[in-house]
Amino acid sequence: MSAPDYILEASALKRQFEVAKPLFGKAKVVRAVDGVDLKIARGETFAIVGESGCGKSTLARLLVRLMTPTDGAVIYEGRNIASIPEQEMRDLRRELQFIFQDPFSSLNPRMTVGALIEEPMRVHRIGTVAQRREKVAALLSRVGLSPQIADRYPHEFSGGQRQRVGIARALASGPKVLIGDEPVSALDVSIQAQVVNILEDLKQEFGLTLVVIAHDLAVVRHMADRVAVMYLGEIVELAPVDALFDAPRHPYTAALIAAIPVPQVGARKATAKLEGDPPNPIDLPTGCRFHPRCPHATDLCRTSKPTLRARDAGGQVACHYADELTLDGLSAGSDTRSDAANARFEIYRAARARSEGANAPATTTT
Amino acid sequence: MSAPLLDVKGLSVRIAGTSRDLVADVSFTLHPGETLCVVGESGCGKSLTALSLMGLLASPPLSVTGGEALFDGRDLLQMPLDQLQALRGDRMAMIFQEPMTSLNPALRVGDQIAESVQRHQGVSAKAARARALEMLRRVGIPAPESRLDAYPHNLSGGMRQRVMIAMALANDPALLLADEPTTALDVTIQAQILALMRDLQAQSGSAMILITHDLGVVAEMADKVAVMYAGRIVEFGTVAQIFEDPQHPYTIGLMSSMPTLGQRVARLVTIPGVVPQASQMPPGCRFASRCPFANASCAKTPDMTEVATGHRVACWQVPLEAGIDQRVSA
Repeated sequence: MSAPDYILEASALKRQFEVAKPLFGKAKVVRAVDGVDLKIARGETFAIVGESGCGKSTLARLLVRLMTPTDGAVIYEGRNIASIPEQEMRDLRRELQFIFQDPFSSLNPRMTVGALIEEPMRVHRIGTVAQRREKVAALLSRVGLSPQIADRYPHEFSGGQRQRVGIARALASGPKVLIGDEPVSALDVSIQAQVVNILEDLKQEFGLTLVVIAHDLAVVRHMADRVAVMYLGEIVELAPVDALFDAPRHPYTAALIAAIPVPQVGARKATAKLEGDPPNPIDLPTGCRFHPRCPHATDLCRTSKPTLRARDAGGQVACHYADELTLDGLSAGSDTRSDAANARFEIYRAARARSEGANAPATTTT
Repeated sequence: MSAPLLDVKGLSVRIAGTSRDLVADVSFTLHPGETLCVVGESGCGKSLTALSLMGLLASPPLSVTGGEALFDGRDLLQMPLDQLQALRGDRMAMIFQEPMTSLNPALRVGDQIAESVQRHQGVSAKAARARALEMLRRVGIPAPESRLDAYPHNLSGGMRQRVMIAMALANDPALLLADEPTTALDVTIQAQILALMRDLQAQSGSAMILITHDLGVVAEMADKVAVMYAGRIVEFGTVAQIFEDPQHPYTIGLMSSMPTLGQRVARLVTIPGVVPQASQMPPGCRFASRCPFANASCAKTPDMTEVATGHRVACWQVPLEAGIDQRVSA
């Protein structure tokens, strides 16, 4: 990218939740998102990763104002959507759509699949009734479902099919940005692969910008162009996907990568580089928030908080020792298959391609 | 090789009022110290297989309709309840996926561990509590003395899973069944728990059946692997055979559906469609409706055939490369 064209930006973004308000004294707050700066380029797939409670889902909701920030700004196409009136935001929603993790609880069980997909168009007064009906059918076949199911209800479908309905609904209003909060993590492996392919195809076809929140690093490695790693409400590292996985600069990123079990016999074992659990987000550690679990922590880390600064490959990292530490990424060839296995995969791929070609494109389910 | 610890033959499970088996003709053997990973997607019967072995099927409506499971030479499937209860938690133990719902929220964790020690070893309350403390220490819980009196809700998910493991191993079981023990955990915690399970197993020499959907966990933990699809084992072999010489189209499809961590591929090669519902299970090969190699012969249920020593596959088209020329010309 020569001149980066940013479609969505967060600037010093903060969101706090009050968890317990004592009768006297100050309320306790969780700083779920605590000063996040990021810029998402038009047309890229941007991933946000981290463990439970790191604030990644809160950040996703702030980016489309499903939640209002405590402080800071979210700039979409040059406008601060954190502070515009609700009515204006409602109009913008057609351009910023959200896919939820759980396809069981995010679709209204009393609405038919057709009504669910039509609703965003109705709300935004897009098209006539007939045009909308046509669009619903087109969207359904686009996500690999039969248009005939429009009269059926969500409970009649499997998790993967419901997630496709959720994607069709998100696409209905013609969005520019699609944000998925763990869009495939509730799905079985074979179904997950189908949905990942659909998201990538749709991104190409409609020129979407994708923001994916995920904890599955293999999925992120496959889908993302750039990745931000969050820990306790802050971004600790942000880099292009290959630079992040092959040469992490933050010890937390390295620990996440080391913990991935590799699906290959004799590959390096997943190692637990981290002791203990993430600390309580109410009583945050002093200095670097990661220091209690960091194998490289020094006195400096216990007292002084590192700021996000430039790293190589156009990335950023928040670690005092980013330049000195040698951290392991995914070692090259750590996931190579045997020749026999590769030959089988090739036969399978060819057979799939042939059977796809034999089917009408509208009814294929990949 | 020594006699197997567990010898399962033709295990079948059915839901009342239907004629299709949710678990169909599942057979495998397990030797002391071995880890068998059972891998498959939701509804493939992997959890039902484990629950039938433990005598924990929700019965009715589920019931074992056939087969035997010889554990130390005694059939678990025919065993009277009192004998089974004497075995469970003692010679065989189970770790469940969700430690929050499988620990008693109203009991202190030390008491929960001690309860099973007292029940099976008949020791004093004091000795049982000492054993509980020792187990908490062995599973790496910091400050175990103070954790004995903690309630499950005081602990994090990773700590709760450690308590589950401590409880399961408290009586040195010969067989451990673990149903998705790390699925609910974050990846760094998962790595801790897997390492712990490996270490403890190496110390105790117990056999383990590990149920998972994650092929990465399989590659890391397994000696042997059973790949299940729609209630049947479709491929069985050593971990090297399954990963380096996968034979069944489902095994291959599952592996190619997973994004790799190495070279990025442009597009994932998927398995089309979805698992047929139990009520609509096709006769013959249950994978045929999703299989790119299926032909007329697949209308008949494929036999398990041995393609190499200990490597068995249930597919008429195996080896796939043999049939490729005819298919291309067809």
